Amino acid sequence: MNPFRPWLVLLLLATVPLRGATLPELFQERLKSVVEVEFFIQSEIDRQPVMVLGTVIDDQGTIILPGPSIQPTVAPGQLKEFKVYRAGNTEPTRAEYLGQDAFTGWHFIRVEPKLRGELVPITRWPAMKSAPALSEELWGIGLRGKDEDFLPYFLLSRVATVMKLPQETAICGSDVAGPGLPVFNTAGEFAGLALPSFGQNYLLFSRNQHGNPIMLVNVEESSAVQLAAEVLPYLHRVPETATGRPLPWFGAYGLQPMDPDVAKLLKLENQSGVVLSDIAAGTPAEQAGLRDRDIVLAIDGAPLPRLKPDRVVAGYFGQQLLLHRPGETIHLTVLRGGERREVKVTLGSEPKLVREADRHYFDRLGVTVREFLYADAISMRVAPSEQKGVVAHFLKPGGPAATAGLRPEDWIREIDGTEITGYQQALDLLHAVEVDKERSEVVFLVGRGAETAVIRVKLI
Amino acid sequence: MRDSLPPSIIRRPALLVAAALCLPAIATAAMSRGFDRLLEAVVRIDVREIEFADGARRFTGGIGSGVIISNDGVILTNAHVASPQAVEISVTLASLERVGAKLVGWDHWTDLAVLRLDLDEVKRRKLSFTAAEFGDSDALFPGETVFAVGTPFGLTRTLTRGIISNNRRPFEDTHGVRGYETGLFNNWLQTDAAINPGNSGGPLVTEDGRVVGINSRAYIGAENLGFAIPSNVARRVSGELVRHGAITRSYIGLVPGVLQDLEKFYALAVNTGLLVNGVDPGSPAARAGLRPGDVVLTLNGQKLDGRFPEQLPPIQQSIAILPVGATVQLSVKRGSQTLALTLQTEKLVSRVGEEWAFEKWGLSVRKVTRTYAREHQLADDTGVLVLGVQPGYPAAEAGLEHGDIITKVGNEQVTELDRLKQVYRAYEASPAPQLVEAQRDRRISLYVLKP
Repeated sequence: MNPFRPWLVLLLLATVPLRGATLPELFQERLKSVVEVEFFIQSEIDRQPVMVLGTVIDDQGTIILPGPSIQPTVAPGQLKEFKVYRAGNTEPTRAEYLGQDAFTGWHFIRVEPKLRGELVPITRWPAMKSAPALSEELWGIGLRGKDEDFLPYFLLSRVATVMKLPQETAICGSDVAGPGLPVFNTAGEFAGLALPSFGQNYLLFSRNQHGNPIMLVNVEESSAVQLAAEVLPYLHRVPETATGRPLPWFGAYGLQPMDPDVAKLLKLENQSGVVLSDIAAGTPAEQAGLRDRDIVLAIDGAPLPRLKPDRVVAGYFGQQLLLHRPGETIHLTVLRGGERREVKVTLGSEPKLVREADRHYFDRLGVTVREFLYADAISMRVAPSEQKGVVAHFLKPGGPAATAGLRPEDWIREIDGTEITGYQQALDLLHAVEVDKERSEVVFLVGRGAETAVIRVKLI
Repeated sequence: MRDSLPPSIIRRPALLVAAALCLPAIATAAMSRGFDRLLEAVVRIDVREIEFADGARRFTGGIGSGVIISNDGVILTNAHVASPQAVEISVTLASLERVGAKLVGWDHWTDLAVLRLDLDEVKRRKLSFTAAEFGDSDALFPGETVFAVGTPFGLTRTLTRGIISNNRRPFEDTHGVRGYETGLFNNWLQTDAAINPGNSGGPLVTEDGRVVGINSRAYIGAENLGFAIPSNVARRVSGELVRHGAITRSYIGLVPGVLQDLEKFYALAVNTGLLVNGVDPGSPAARAGLRPGDVVLTLNGQKLDGRFPEQLPPIQQSIAILPVGATVQLSVKRGSQTLALTLQTEKLVSRVGEEWAFEKWGLSVRKVTRTYAREHQLADDTGVLVLGVQPGYPAAEAGLEHGDIITKVGNEQVTELDRLKQVYRAYEASPAPQLVEAQRDRRISLYVLKP
């Protein structure tokens, strides 16, 4: 007998991946955690189909989609006909939209029960205990489009670096998964979720031009992976409402990072900070006594971390706020005029967002008007207490209002010489215009930046 | 339309040489003595000037045309040819002699500048020149024959002929003359006499050689759509520039719109009213309670008629010529009400402030003016706008960018450009890191300028 044989068997056992599965086997198994999701965004005049990738997170058929899948201004009511497809299977299953979580940015949907048995949540697989090492091999799944029967494919790469952005993110040397889909190590452990792809800088050379810098973004695959430790603890954040409420409100609209040179000059070596500005009257930040130029150094006793690039700290601070609920109190350590002070801020509830605003489309005019919101007052530089008028939210291309020169985000302050003080009043006036077949025109007074204009819309 | 309008003849008007070389070729065109005299008065202008772009002070050159309008050597040209940033102006007379000249004053609103020849030099070198005569631009009629004299694309001694295509063309541009506003207070002459880059500052003349306009701009890429400042405007403006070096205008902050077809909506009597399209925030009109959508019926008792675009510049001019601080009475129609508003005019200020470069910082800036602050909804006119930064210099390394507004350096609030210059001098004497506070879109950031 060859004395070496038992050793060989042992050696083989040690190198075979967890549970003895090979990569192809793991790939087939993990496919049950990924789906492709189709839905429509209904606008006033058309519907736009959207295809995104999603990951199954529990046994109730809950699926998360990447944040950028849906523009923040799109109202939940505009999202229609969610359909879920499994890898390699063209059979659609309906799903409902649950909302967006503010902290993670994920959109949550829930698929009908009949498909749930076919899906395996990502939590079923073992997760990596620590961040992947530099050069460690990671693999993930990509899914082709509807016309290719959602064919799954295998991607493999190695970790090039791990960064805090502010979430811990592994950047691989090449694309490792479809954005929104899970990534695993060779043992089949969950390593993280692929983020929407980062842009890559290139120079574009053409016959008569020298290299022009351009950025390329791969929309089908990504090399950036948000690590499991940044994903798993937040999977329970299924939105309570379709609009994502409750949402905390701080109320400083300028959050600028303090760069290391500034910190050094202010004798704050090795400290990180966020410079506050654009604090509107009546906001929680203002009521707590915060002022423009205050530098936040710590939140709830924890110093803000040094992150790279510098600007990431502003995002970190904003996200820390989002981990709280309205009514909760946070403790900030701020620097004002060289002096440190502690400030207690009781967070409010975020004023109505664009996606929550009431809106109405007037077909004859070719315009959707929506409520004037707190955020409009901030961007138009008027006192939030002076919220009047309505906002042109959408203009039908070539429609009467667009032809007359009305533009999206124009602030409609008067209609036919009548000052608009409320949304309903504007609707009543415009409705009267729409039904009056004798009407040949309507005159708007609109604000646009610091300018105003009288716009006359000819009706057909 | 405006987007398709390149800055026409602005930046580097090509060569224009005095077309007064006693040209036998022109003689056949049956020119009058007046025309000969005019050609003797046309000059070429070479300007060396400072530019504060990209974080540095740079010298650039420009060439344009001009016309001598008095026997004491006053030359009329375009504001976009000669501005206060000129450091050296040299004029080539019809006799092909070069003489130095100084800027007397400029007025970007009408795109006019006045130079004066160095008369000592003229006397010392025993040079001579002729002054052109003005014609009456109000008497021009559409269809009247006119000539443009200049050096389009460096083609010296070029005369082009055309007609007056329109004698009341409104043309307003908020950035038209070196980034300054232009055209608000006057209508322009439109001609089909070919006007090309290089014609800038040259005269538009009638057949008898009288100057009826100063050629200023053209639609590039269009066929013979050229524009000139009417001589009656040029005459008045040049006179005032010679007397005071600058033109002071009154401002109330009313932005008019055309009432065209809206009379019925506003229930107005025929041919009446000036529509208020906008009111500048914080301006006298705003403080007096004038609101967009109002219709001004009378101004100091004078009935206003602003139905069409070409009717607006004369109305604007009637406000501009009031003494600064003058009282203006407006009768205003708002809905069914008629209101009487009283306000005091302010001095008109350009949105473009003084420019400067702090070379060791690699930073070029422009003072924020009241007008700029209002336009951008800033709290006040504190601060300087970053025009540019030089890569590798402290400002660029600190992260400052074009468009930032620096409001504070060290402990010094930048209310005036001079305060920043003081800080800079101290920095030059003993370079030490400076904390800079700047804002962009009302968001405040801190930077450090490091030696």
